[in-house]
Order: sequence, then structure tokens, then C-alpha cells
Amino acid sequence: MIIGKNISKMFRIPSERRNTLFEAVISFVKGGRRYDEFWALKNVSFDVKEGEIFGITGPNGSGKTTLLEIIADIINPDEGELIVNGRITPILALGVGFNLELTARENVFLYGALMGVKRVKMEDKYEEVFEFAELKRFENMKLKNFSSGMNARLAFSTAIATEPNILLLDEVLAVGDIEFQRKCMAEINRVNKNGTTIVFVSHSIEAVRDLCERAMFLDNGEVIAIGAVDEVVNTYLNSMAE
Amino acid sequence: MTNEYELIIKPKKGLFSIDIHEMLEYKELLFFLALRQIQIRYKQTVMGASWAMLQPFFTMIVFTLIFGGLAKMPSEGIPYPLFSYSGLLLWTYFANSVGQSGNSMVGNASFISKIYFPRLFIPSSVCLAGLVDYGIAMIILVLMMVYYMFVPNMSIIILPLVVFVTFILASGMGYWLSAICVKYRDIQFILPFFISLLMFTTPVIYPPSMVGEQYQWLLTLNPMTGLIDAHRACLLGHQPVDFATLAVSIAISALIFVTGIIYLKNTEKYFADLI
Repeated sequence: MIIGKNISKMFRIPSERRNTLFEAVISFVKGGRRYDEFWALKNVSFDVKEGEIFGITGPNGSGKTTLLEIIADIINPDEGELIVNGRITPILALGVGFNLELTARENVFLYGALMGVKRVKMEDKYEEVFEFAELKRFENMKLKNFSSGMNARLAFSTAIATEPNILLLDEVLAVGDIEFQRKCMAEINRVNKNGTTIVFVSHSIEAVRDLCERAMFLDNGEVIAIGAVDEVVNTYLNSMAE
Repeated sequence: MTNEYELIIKPKKGLFSIDIHEMLEYKELLFFLALRQIQIRYKQTVMGASWAMLQPFFTMIVFTLIFGGLAKMPSEGIPYPLFSYSGLLLWTYFANSVGQSGNSMVGNASFISKIYFPRLFIPSSVCLAGLVDYGIAMIILVLMMVYYMFVPNMSIIILPLVVFVTFILASGMGYWLSAICVKYRDIQFILPFFISLLMFTTPVIYPPSMVGEQYQWLLTLNPMTGLIDAHRACLLGHQPVDFATLAVSIAISALIFVTGIIYLKNTEKYFADLI
């Protein structure tokens, strides 16, 4: 269960880029305006019910990923409050936290630790991970020798194996071949049946319509529509048509 | 569904937002990150573990030639190579830990911007992994002690304390520096220079008694003074451990560690925005 109340997030876009202490001192002495404000999210309120698949859609730059990063506790909102009930596994990009110098096997445990999952539990899930990813033969190969597709398969199945209460997915299924995408979709539906809440972010309206029950349409950081997926999709298509 | 994982995310304010429960939840991660660094370091290098010995060993040779041979540096009545190596051993651990942990946050930018986990563990794991190098480099010291026939006395029992405090101090400095580095990237370039200067203001290769009486207090305020001194005294047993100076070191190390945690915890919410 996730409840967001009036969430706003501002990014400061430096008028002149300052990355060093030296530059900071100079511009402090010179004074004047240091950055432009950009509100990536404005007063966003929503709720995701336990056990549902919730879609967030909108054009590029509408704040979808920013919102997902706030839910995942990677960035902090400037205003508002978010209540998250359950352990989250974010998949904002596949293979994050993987280290190319380690073997596939070592990376599975590393990822588990990054997600706060005990090693013992990852050991139980170990066979499943490699079976699903169809990579059993390569378990002792270093990740740097993996193809990007193999990497994505391993990452997805490892993430699923951490058994989160809430799974955050950001356009990740654009990788891998059709066969694997279909398999991922089936797996997402399966874990959802077992009680995992899923937040799915995509600019692909078809993907959202196929997968989600409820959805939210964001544009320029504001909620345009929220509710049953069909209504939201219609609002989206109408706004695109204008 | 349990309430065990309830998380409330809002604009963070307040000085003490340290979540002990979360730390325990993720405790395996600290060892995992440290293990990962050790694996990567030793897998990729031809020389492997011997690198850990070579750095302090060759530094010792150079200093022995310059200071022991040419400048006739006093060394508390013990052979100069043994004197300088027993200092350099701990100093190398400290300097490498501070240098690497200072850069660690920026170096791990790719996953800081993608997943959440206690950021504190990034610099901590660097300092933890460094202990392996310290252990390996210790072999040389043991060999040198055999060669010069030095037998440690009872004070050796405080060695774990000295190493632990050095770990605390290096971690504390790592918290401060890694968090500052995220905001000001030029710190990365100043850091190695600063650390090498720091070595000459610490009695690593010279005895503290060489410094004039009126500056002794300044030397004591450097937390590495008491640690290097106690490290040498407890290993070689050539003089009693100076507990007063060691106590000052412990107090300052603890202060840097605690303030470092508070500073990092209060700035980490911006990391993903800046990195």
C-alpha cells in the first residue's frame, strides 16, 4: 500500500554550473542568482492499493521516473508526504548494483544484500533465479562476459527473487527479446497473484492498458487523470490528439 | 501484510535521523560490500595480495635510507627500519582508507542514483576491506621482529583496540569526506595531497619526542599521534603505552565518527540529486 499526499519535487538547475568548491566560493563572492527552479512534480496525490497493479504513464519529462525514485526513497520530496507499507524492490534500470568483475553467482547474492535480503533466503531462491533466467550454464562466468540480454534476464529474475511486497518497474521490459518480455509479463502477473503490489511506469499506453487495473496520467509534473485504466487511457489519448 | 516495513517519506528535517533498525536490517550488506572490494582488488591484479605489503615496505626502505641512514633520525632505541615500518603499517591502512572512502560515494554514483540502501555502508565497507591489507602487511612486521629479535610483551593485548579506533577514525573521516565530495568534486584532487602532508605532521617516521615541548599539545590533538605511538609501543614493547595520549586519540576519533555519521545522514538525501 502506498499513499502519496501532495508530493512536490523541485530540481535546481544551476544557471552556471558549479561543481567545485572553488567555483562555489567565486559565485558566493559574486552573489546573485545561482539556479533556476524546476518543479518536476507539483502537488501529486495518489494511492496504490495493496495487491494491485498500478500504472503511471505520461509523455517524456512528465515526472514519472521522479515519482518512482521518491517512492523508492532514492530522492527526497520537497513537499508532501508518502506512506509506504511493505518492502520495496525497485527496478529502475536492470542490473543496478551488479559488478562486472564478479560472477553471476556472486552478483545474485550481492544484489540480495543491496535489497536487504538475507543470504540464507537468497540461497533458497538461487536455483529458481537461474532457472528462470535460463543461465544455469553460466553461473560461474564473470558478468563482463555476459551479453546485455543475459544481463537483463539475470537482473530481472534476481529482482523478482527478492520477494518484495511492492515491486517498482520503470520501462525495463524494453530490453530482451519478445520471448523473454512475454515471460516477464507472465511472471509479473504471477507475483501479483501471490500478493505483490506492482507500480509500473511506462510511456507506452498499450503496456499500461494490458497490465494495469488502475493508472495515473502525469503531465508536466501534475496529475491529469487517475482511476480505472480505461478512463485514464482515454484521457491520455484525447490529450495527445489535441 | 505486516507493519514491519512501514516507511514514511517526507522532506527530511532534524539533526538525528539515524535509523538503527534499518542498520540492523542491512547489516549483511556491510560485509558484502567489503568482501566485494577485496575480491575485486585481488582478482584483477597479477601481484594480488603482495601489493598490500609492497607499499609500506618500499616506503620503509626509502625512509630508512634517507632518515635512518643520512639524517640519523632518533628512533627510541630500536632499529630504524623496524621503527618506521611499525608506524607505516598503521599509517598506510589509515591513509588508504581515508583516501579511498573519501572517493567512494562519487565512485559508486551508478547505484546511489538507482537503489536505496544505507549510504553509510559505502565508506564503512572501504575501511573494513582495508583491514585485510593491514593484516597482510603485518606479516612483514612479524618477519622483521623475528630478524631483530623483538618479543612483544603483555601490552600487545591493546593492539585490537588500537586498530579498531583507527578504523573508527578512518570511517569518520570517510563519512565527512565522501559526503563533501558529492557536492564539491575538487576535494577529490586535494585529498591525496592533504593525506601525504598529514603524514609528516604525524609521528610516523620520527618519534614524538623530536617535536619541541611547546608544540606537544598540537601533536596530541592529531588523533593519529596517539594511535601510531600506541601501535608501536604495544607491538615492540620497547616503552610503555602512553595511555593519556591514546585516550585523547580515542575521544577525538569518536567525535569525528559521530559527527561524520550525523553529517552524512543529513546530506545523503541530496546525493541522488547531485551525483
